[in-house]
Amino acid sequence: MPMYKVKPVSPADIKIDVPSCMYKSPNVHGHGMNCGEHALQNGEVDPSLKALEERQDEVLRRLYELKATVDGFAKTVTTPDADLDASTPSPGPAESVFRGTADLDSLLGKDLGALRDIVINANPARPPLSLLVLHALLCQRYQVLSSVHVHSSVSAVPPPLLSCLGPRHIDSYARQRFQLGFTLIWKDVSELQMKFSTQSMCPIEGEANVARFLFRLLGAEPQDPAAATQMDCWIDKAVFQLSEGGSKDRAAVLRSLNAALGRSPWLLGQEFSLADIVCACFVLRASQTTSAPVNVQRWLKSCQNLGHFDCVYPLLQ
Amino acid sequence: MTKENVQGAGEEEQQAQSKKALKKQQKEAEKAAKKAEKQAKLAAEQQETDEDDFAKDRYGICPMVQSQQKLDRALVRVQDLTPEKAEQQIWVRARIHTSRAKGKQCFLVLRHQQFTVQALLAVGERASKQMVKFAANLTKESIIDVEAVVKKVEQKIESCSQQDVELHVERIFVISQSEARLPLQLEDAVRPEGEGDEEGRATVNQDTRLDNRVIDLRTTTSQAIFRLQSGVCQLFRDTLINKGFVEIQTPKIISAASEGGANVFTVSYFKTSAYLAQSPQLYKQMCICADFDKVFCVGPVFRAEDSNTHRHLTEFVGLDIEMAFNYHYHEVIDSITDTMVQIFKGLRDRFPTEIQTVNKQYPSEPFKFLEPTLRLEYKEAVAMLKAAGVEMGDEEDLSTPNEKLLGRLVKEKYDTDFYVLDKYPLAVRPFYTMPDPNNPKYSNSYDMFMRGEEILSGAQRIHDAQLLTERAMHHSIDLEKIKAYIDSFRYGAPPHAGGGIGLERVTMLYLGLHNVRQTSMFPRDPKRLTP
Repeated sequence: MPMYKVKPVSPADIKIDVPSCMYKSPNVHGHGMNCGEHALQNGEVDPSLKALEERQDEVLRRLYELKATVDGFAKTVTTPDADLDASTPSPGPAESVFRGTADLDSLLGKDLGALRDIVINANPARPPLSLLVLHALLCQRYQVLSSVHVHSSVSAVPPPLLSCLGPRHIDSYARQRFQLGFTLIWKDVSELQMKFSTQSMCPIEGEANVARFLFRLLGAEPQDPAAATQMDCWIDKAVFQLSEGGSKDRAAVLRSLNAALGRSPWLLGQEFSLADIVCACFVLRASQTTSAPVNVQRWLKSCQNLGHFDCVYPLLQ
Repeated sequence: MTKENVQGAGEEEQQAQSKKALKKQQKEAEKAAKKAEKQAKLAAEQQETDEDDFAKDRYGICPMVQSQQKLDRALVRVQDLTPEKAEQQIWVRARIHTSRAKGKQCFLVLRHQQFTVQALLAVGERASKQMVKFAANLTKESIIDVEAVVKKVEQKIESCSQQDVELHVERIFVISQSEARLPLQLEDAVRPEGEGDEEGRATVNQDTRLDNRVIDLRTTTSQAIFRLQSGVCQLFRDTLINKGFVEIQTPKIISAASEGGANVFTVSYFKTSAYLAQSPQLYKQMCICADFDKVFCVGPVFRAEDSNTHRHLTEFVGLDIEMAFNYHYHEVIDSITDTMVQIFKGLRDRFPTEIQTVNKQYPSEPFKFLEPTLRLEYKEAVAMLKAAGVEMGDEEDLSTPNEKLLGRLVKEKYDTDFYVLDKYPLAVRPFYTMPDPNNPKYSNSYDMFMRGEEILSGAQRIHDAQLLTERAMHHSIDLEKIKAYIDSFRYGAPPHAGGGIGLERVTMLYLGLHNVRQTSMFPRDPKRLTP
């Protein structure tokens, strides 16, 4: 039966701005509204979804751990004597391989309350790579204030050489907080030179000799005289034949290195030593890494894995 | 001819007179003979001069240049006389350095500033004997205009700066003649000390030089020294402007002594008196409090110290820096040392000939430095001195011999002539120095040394009015006299530090000279007020 049609008081489709800060209760009249949407807005999560996410996270974490462990094992296998903590996922700085102790007072003279500064004058054309490695090792044992200067006899030095000792220490403004100073000066000298206490010590010349001095500060010299002699022998071979000799001499040294490294992981046997540092640096500087024999290449890779040689590689370009 | 006649007459009369009278007559005869000879010679010379002087218009003394006419003549500088100009006919204005006549030739050495060239004037179809004689008689140091042809020489002329060419003179005119007697000879003034003693030749001592400064400054060495000094000033300005500093000018007539009461000059100022500023310290700091952040000023500094030493003057040019820093005063040290290193590098690269010229007369080791500059702490310096056998207390100030010894020790170990000594003991520094936060016996102050001698004294300044008052009272300073100074810190002052160097001292030490008067154009010391 037709009834009066009353005019609608308000239009049917007014857009009402619903405040979003209030809870939305489920619409009891309409269908087609997803219950899940409300649940999400109310902070509830579907428990099954939650469990799925948690399982995924767990699996991923275990995968990362396994990867790190495998990496660690790979390094340990190829690099004997490395004490890397295999379960840490991040490759932090390598722990010191040298466990000996050294008495700085007896080696360097009585501490007069001032920074004991070792000054090394080097030619930028022949950067002393082994000394950079030893510097890294010294920084692990002692608090070392390192600085790099350019002498007025040299007009310009490539930027990698200016940052070869690493970033400046935060406390470098307070010199007396450090036990040891390591000052590297790029200068126009014919032979590398080290000065420490000009009143009581004469300057030490030659990269190998300075390396021997710095190695003693680590307290890791081989106590056995035979081993010590063998170490000196390898260092001399590196200096005289590898660096200053002709191509025949270089080939001979590489062959003897290869032979020695076939018998043991490091040049002196089971222990990493100064001989390895110096020889590796000289081989790297002679840039014959690709043409080197198999054992030598494996040994170079082990050196690199130890982490001490990280400062050297940027300078090889 | 006449001589023979006289002799003949004497012989005839010999028998008639006594021996004595005879001898007397003989002597008179000889005298007359000589006189006659001379007259004959003069007559002959007169004949010569009356000979045709065909070069009369190619030499002479010009009337004084009163800007009578404007000649469109290009004058070539002596330093531009090179083999490239060979066979060209050019005009040169220079001084006569030396002139030497040899028969029909005259060798002149012409000089302009540091450059010398040889000039030759020979009797020939272009030059007459009178012209050569005129050139040989010209006084040294006269300014002349010469028109000449540039000729290449096979053998290098070692004694001149332009070694590959010489001038063949066509015309020579004097523009300004010098008096014949010079108070000092330039050759002597340039001679190295050792050479003078060895060969018994004269050298000029310092007082004579300073009394006749105008002539002494003409020497090649002096020209080189002061050109280098101008370079120091310019490099200082350029480096600081590039770092964002603002140049300021501070007053030199002030009402109160800034550094200490004893060493000020007093001037009468209308009805009262005033002082001549000992340093721009006060005003530099006020500029920092006025938000200029980084300022420098170049100006005279007056110190009434009665020290007659090789490195003190009563008036010198001070190059002063003051800078506000963010957190640590080492930011300021780094800025100052970088400026000094830029100055040293600039001098090394832009003035090698000047340095060489000075070295010829005053040989010395080239100046060495490190970049970044070496910074040692006072404790290290004391340890080094103790290791070398010097007895001194930990908080004692460094005496001058100790400073020199320390300079030598640092040179031996680090091979640098320039370094900074940081963290001096508080007791030996002025009252406005900021004490060390960690150790009250030391302070945030520093000195910089060149060749073992101090060139800069600086520190972090106290920017807090209360602490400043305390420190002033501790040093028994009359607070009334420095009231204005303390007041400038009461309305917000940034932490700041700075220092100042002396231009003359820096030039002296860079070149390795031994007396600061050599690098001051008209030096002032307790005994000298002129020129």
